[in-house]
Amino acid sequence: MLKWFEQVQDGGSNIVCSKVRLARNWSEYVFPSRLSDEDSREMLNRLHEGLRDLGDLDGRDYESAYLDELSELDRRALKERRILNASILERKAPMSILITREEDISLVLNGSDHIRIQVWAPGLCLAEALKTADQVDDYVNARFSYAFDDKYGYLTSYPTNVGTGLRATAIVHLPSLSMGKKFPSMLNDMGRIGVSIRGVYGEGRENYGALYEISNQKTMGRTEKELTDLVAKVASQLDEQEKQIREMGLASHRLEMEDEVYKSYGVLRYARRLSMKDAMTFLSQIMSGIADGLVKLQEPCPVFRLMLGIQTANLQKLSDRPLDKGELDMARAAYLRSELPDLTQS
Amino acid sequence: MLCERCKIREANIQYTEVINGVKTEHNFCAQCAKEMDFGPYSAIFDGEFPLAQLLSGLLGGEWPVQKKDRLSQITCPTCGTSYEEFVKNSCFGCADCYTMFDLLIHDNIKQLQGSDSHKGKHPVCQEPLSSKAQAEAVAQEETEQTKSTEEQQIRAWDRKLKEALRTEDYENAAVYRDKIRALREGKEADA
Repeated sequence: MLKWFEQVQDGGSNIVCSKVRLARNWSEYVFPSRLSDEDSREMLNRLHEGLRDLGDLDGRDYESAYLDELSELDRRALKERRILNASILERKAPMSILITREEDISLVLNGSDHIRIQVWAPGLCLAEALKTADQVDDYVNARFSYAFDDKYGYLTSYPTNVGTGLRATAIVHLPSLSMGKKFPSMLNDMGRIGVSIRGVYGEGRENYGALYEISNQKTMGRTEKELTDLVAKVASQLDEQEKQIREMGLASHRLEMEDEVYKSYGVLRYARRLSMKDAMTFLSQIMSGIADGLVKLQEPCPVFRLMLGIQTANLQKLSDRPLDKGELDMARAAYLRSELPDLTQS
Repeated sequence: MLCERCKIREANIQYTEVINGVKTEHNFCAQCAKEMDFGPYSAIFDGEFPLAQLLSGLLGGEWPVQKKDRLSQITCPTCGTSYEEFVKNSCFGCADCYTMFDLLIHDNIKQLQGSDSHKGKHPVCQEPLSSKAQAEAVAQEETEQTKSTEEQQIRAWDRKLKEALRTEDYENAAVYRDKIRALREGKEADA
């Protein structure tokens, strides 16, 4: 069973994947920050009981787990695969997840809100992801009545989510656009049109891999469709601008760009140690090389899958013992040597 | 530019202070900024919920001190969250907090969200009864139904038939008439 991030997309687009998240609360209980552990467990049991046949909705297999039954490493790996967020990882209260085998649909229960429905899809698929999230939402709502107010809409723990409770996100690969001088000011200007944009990987001001996450800032006063359309539109425009810059680059410096991609491939293919920064930078080169048609992999393999694969918790999970930093760099290189497919001969 | 405090590291935080209309600008490195007190903005340098702390500055910062003290006493009766706690954590304790703090937060939510009214999806199923009570009610109804005799059923349909006739809803009236007839005929056949 392929996970959603293992499913190959048609080349050409710089939009890596899309996500829709709905935050909901059950009207019978106080919000998670005020819910006692005992009540949390009771609520989780009732939610699990009520959602036992969730798979009947679309014939999918859902697995469920209480987060305290999972190892710390498993929880961190779920965070790397974007199922859990950082604040959930720090929370000590009883929490659980329901997740499909493909990991495209997940429900986090008793996290920041009672129910957070999340749908991931490769490429630009916000409308489809919203439709899926909507169906799951209706299924849940048929069994549990939501905290809802005619004026404020769906009531959430944080006022930043109230209204639709919707956060639509698109992850876009912008290696050339982000090198432009005007890029930082463009990021700031995004707030004016109601979207936020931030680097996905990196430390401090540095971005590794040139992946950027675009999300709607506001959740109230616009319909779900308007919000997802806004994010999709901004993502498409950034994709288009990135394409134009790269096309100009290819027209004048094709050999240099090709050289960069092949060198990156060479390093990923043969290196014995790779830091996170280096691995992400070279994978980013391969990602644009494939999108630009400069290189082609023999077997279908989304580069984003490799980017998720080289993250720390995943590498730790693949190893049978805890790894220190040096060993992690070796494990990262070994992972890429085994997972990166051959190039087709050109 | 070097940090004006330690004069060692590169300054990457620009801090603008306005006191009594006098504006002064400072440049610090992240480490020095972390050690200094920036009130509600300190959390930015701690890496701990910067958004929540920033929001709390936004949500509670504009009331005069005396009024603020009185307001901070307001507490949600359902979950026990005080307005002070809400401002501190920018986090509601339950659905009733929205009603409880409505007057205090309305403008802030509008400022934060650019709107103060929900536009979009409504719940498909929003029963006033809690689902637990609802489930109990359904179960009770089912037991009563099994208990009820066919006579009771006929009487119920008869009532509905009369009501339908009264409102000139002849289509439904015919349905109930047929149902009663079928049940009576069934009874006679059984006898």
